[in-house]
Amino acid sequence: MSPLPGGNRMEQLVESIAERVVGLVIEAIDINALVGKVDMDALLAKVDVDAIVSKVDVDGLIDRVDVEKIIDRVDVDKIVSRVDVDQIVERVDVEKIIERVDVEKIIQRVDIDALVEQTELGTIIARSTSGVASEALDLVRAQGVGLDDFVARWVNRVLRRSADDWPAGPPALVAALAVVETPSTQTGADR
Amino acid sequence: MSAPPVVPASPIAGRQGNYAGGVTRLVAFAADVGASWGAFTLSLAGITFAIQLVTGTKIDLTQGRFSALFVVVAFVGWEFVYFAYQWALSGKTVGMALLGIRVVTTEGDAISGRQAVIRTVALPMSFLFFGLGFLGILLNKDRHAWHDRLARTVVVYSWDARAARLRWLARQDPVAPL
Repeated sequence: MSPLPGGNRMEQLVESIAERVVGLVIEAIDINALVGKVDMDALLAKVDVDAIVSKVDVDGLIDRVDVEKIIDRVDVDKIVSRVDVDQIVERVDVEKIIERVDVEKIIQRVDIDALVEQTELGTIIARSTSGVASEALDLVRAQGVGLDDFVARWVNRVLRRSADDWPAGPPALVAALAVVETPSTQTGADR
Repeated sequence: MSAPPVVPASPIAGRQGNYAGGVTRLVAFAADVGASWGAFTLSLAGITFAIQLVTGTKIDLTQGRFSALFVVVAFVGWEFVYFAYQWALSGKTVGMALLGIRVVTTEGDAISGRQAVIRTVALPMSFLFFGLGFLGILLNKDRHAWHDRLARTVVVYSWDARAARLRWLARQDPVAPL
């Protein structure tokens, strides 16, 4: 409350006048023209950015950032689906990469003995060798049986006899093997 | 898509237990003679070298009447052991195992040690009269040689030709069902 009588009314009058004047002044001023006259470069030159940055606590700022939460919100699948892998691969110069790879050095670092142990190369070689040996043995035996048949056939032909009724082998042995394997249809004529 | 190769049926499949023919037996015998001769010669060379090493004098066991007699007796003994021991043990010698044949009784059972000894002793008899004793292998229905008849044994194929044929087929086409 004003100490003078009628002070309140005077005060209200002054305020209303001031508001009116300020309103008129603002309306009269062209803000854009005023801003256009301001030399921003000179203004910025006066600002000490380093001093401002030095006052910012970057670590504190980072600490307050919840990175996990940000990552959770990132849809990686969506990002990956938008990546054109073919285009990236096309831009990769594979030949150049290969040229830069020292193959000799890589080979020197490979433990051949361990590799052989893991791949059981020795077993493979042994199997292959035994397979060849077995094949050769089968061949020799088959040739022998074939020649036996040939000779027996000619002997029977020269002696003008038929071996149809002759036993193929010891009766008990042939019968036992016929049970174990399939029934034999061999006759003496085959021998 | 090409058609699978046509594989003719093998005439030798399923011969296990059949009487073995003359050619197979002859080749097996030749292999045994080679193996026993080789082993004997190597042993003789080893003994000669050992004696030379110990005594310091060079010797030749084939020279001199006594040495030659010793070598002949040793050779006969070695041949006897070579055949008799292997026949008694498994019914087959090294050569017979290679050719896939074995000695069994006339009934088809494993031969005894006695039969193995008789067969070994009688074997030289088959060589008499220009090998007349072996003629039975070609002429007899049970393919008996003289030493077989004396020992009451026969020689049969022990080689499983059917399994060999399956192995051969498997090698031709590993993915084909047998």
